[in-house]
Amino acid sequence: MIEADHLHKTFQAKTGPVHAVRGVSFLARDGEITGLLGPNAAGKTTTLRMLYTLMSPDQGAVRVDGIDAHRDATAVRQRLGVLPDARNVYKRLTARENIAYFGRLHGLDDATIEQRITRLAEMLGIDFLDRRTEGFSQGQRTKTAIARALVHDPRNVILDEPTNGLDVMTTRSLRGFLQKLRGEGHCVIFSSHIMQEVAALCDRIVVIAGGEVKAIGTPDELRALTGESDLENVFVRLTGEASVA
Amino acid sequence: MNTVFIVARKELIDLFRDRRTVLMGLLLMPILFPALILGAGSMAERKARTQLESTLELPVIGAEHAPNLIRFLRGQNIDAKPAPEDPDADVRAQTYDAVLRISPEFGERWRDSRSAEVELIYDSSRRDSQIPIARVRTAIEQYNRTLALLRSIDRGMSPEVLQPVRLARRDVATPESRRGTLLAFLPYLLILSSFLGGAYLVIDVTAGERERQSLEPLLATPAARAAIMSGKILAAICFGMLSLVLILAAFKISFAVAPGQMRLVHLSWQLLLQLLVVLLPMVLIGTTLLTLIAASVKSVKEAQSYMSVLMLLPIVPTVMLMVNPIKNQLWQFTVPFLAQNQLILRLVRSEIVTLAEWAVYLSTSFGLGLILWVLAARLYHRERLAISA
Repeated sequence: MIEADHLHKTFQAKTGPVHAVRGVSFLARDGEITGLLGPNAAGKTTTLRMLYTLMSPDQGAVRVDGIDAHRDATAVRQRLGVLPDARNVYKRLTARENIAYFGRLHGLDDATIEQRITRLAEMLGIDFLDRRTEGFSQGQRTKTAIARALVHDPRNVILDEPTNGLDVMTTRSLRGFLQKLRGEGHCVIFSSHIMQEVAALCDRIVVIAGGEVKAIGTPDELRALTGESDLENVFVRLTGEASVA
Repeated sequence: MNTVFIVARKELIDLFRDRRTVLMGLLLMPILFPALILGAGSMAERKARTQLESTLELPVIGAEHAPNLIRFLRGQNIDAKPAPEDPDADVRAQTYDAVLRISPEFGERWRDSRSAEVELIYDSSRRDSQIPIARVRTAIEQYNRTLALLRSIDRGMSPEVLQPVRLARRDVATPESRRGTLLAFLPYLLILSSFLGGAYLVIDVTAGERERQSLEPLLATPAARAAIMSGKILAAICFGMLSLVLILAAFKISFAVAPGQMRLVHLSWQLLLQLLVVLLPMVLIGTTLLTLIAASVKSVKEAQSYMSVLMLLPIVPTVMLMVNPIKNQLWQFTVPFLAQNQLILRLVRSEIVTLAEWAVYLSTSFGLGLILWVLAARLYHRERLAISA
């Protein structure tokens, strides 16, 4: 379970302070997929970075399974599997070595790591474990990065735009994988700027624009809220108002 | 602690799979340095030998006024030849090393047993002409003494009257200290390669990893950031020390097969070990300093722009010592670069380094490394470090 409680974050830019996230609050439950939906530069990545403790919020709090991220960042990180926006793999290591490196950093022993790699490879459809990642396709790299992020079998999973740059087939298999995680009772958060993708997968959608939460609900609730049946129109209605404001 | 070794192991595997970079990094210096030193050394020696032993051709103005002197010079392997029209300009233009001018009154004054004048035109700022000039001067002084001796005997005086003081020389330089002068360049090369030997690796594992967008996932793991950084530093130190071992081994081998005086240089295993102990803190200081820089800049390019300044740092004490030589004092062992410079020179000259000096050196240099490590670890905790774009 991941709780975002009135998060604020401001950056100092050359043109002055940029208030990137303004009071974002939501709750992501176990056994659900929560989608963070918003246009580019809506504050999704910054919000996620605060969730996985890479940034500390100026105001507000993050709680993972009830643990305060500010007070015990290490415990929170142990409970999180993170696929950040920047997610390159080490090109001179094989996929297996890439995953095992993170397993060791999580303090796992070699036997456990081997077992997890076999399982994740099966779930993600990785059949290139012992090849060096140099020359991998975007899809192969993303799958390796996801396996690397989940090697310690975390309760909570945060994925920042996981389908970016992936083709239809890979996206589809990734969707299947996330549904499997939900089935196992994991708490999954993922961000996207594509309404259809979020609607096809998520139990709950958090619409963010201009650093603020515009709406929270199931896809049907959002349709009802906006009075639109077409998903794209729902998205435009919800986020478009933000750009006017 | 475990994290440190996990990270170090991964960085070393990652590095050693990059074959070409490793080969260049590890083998280039061990090949280049000895070649440079032995090449320059044997060139200097050959030049000195030719300049000392070959017949020196000396343009002489007014040779006809002193046939006696000219004959004497020929006996000293110095051949007079016709003089140019403008000797000053020719010497300045480096056409000749030196020109001798004999005044027209030479013969007359010589016969009257008065001081006859000869003038040597040379350029003292030219290192290359030092040996020929010394030869001409020695020859003329010899001529002088011989003549004075003959004249004093002729007048019934003891030759010793002409020599109220006799200077005897005794050079206390040992073979080891002589080899020290032969190896004046060694400290700089060793300090530079230990200080910056692993530079590209250090920059690559911090600034490079961030640019390649793999630092963010790494820092999102529960592993402590200070431990991740220390692992990267440890990997760079291992690489730096390995490269130093190869360089020292290359020196040992090449001095053993070198021609002439260079063969006098004997680098014992014990000496090599002591040199490694001297250089280990330098590797630590260089690595932590570069980590500090790499963690504070925005890109690899920016980090590399510091390199030219850093490369000059090890020269500073060498230049200072050249301009203003100082005796050994304990405080010198606290100054980075100067301390290594002095220690290496003393070890190579087989001079004793006292326990107090070792203690002062090792504690201050490791202390400096520790301070840099703490500062770098602080930078590693900044939010900005992890954010790639």
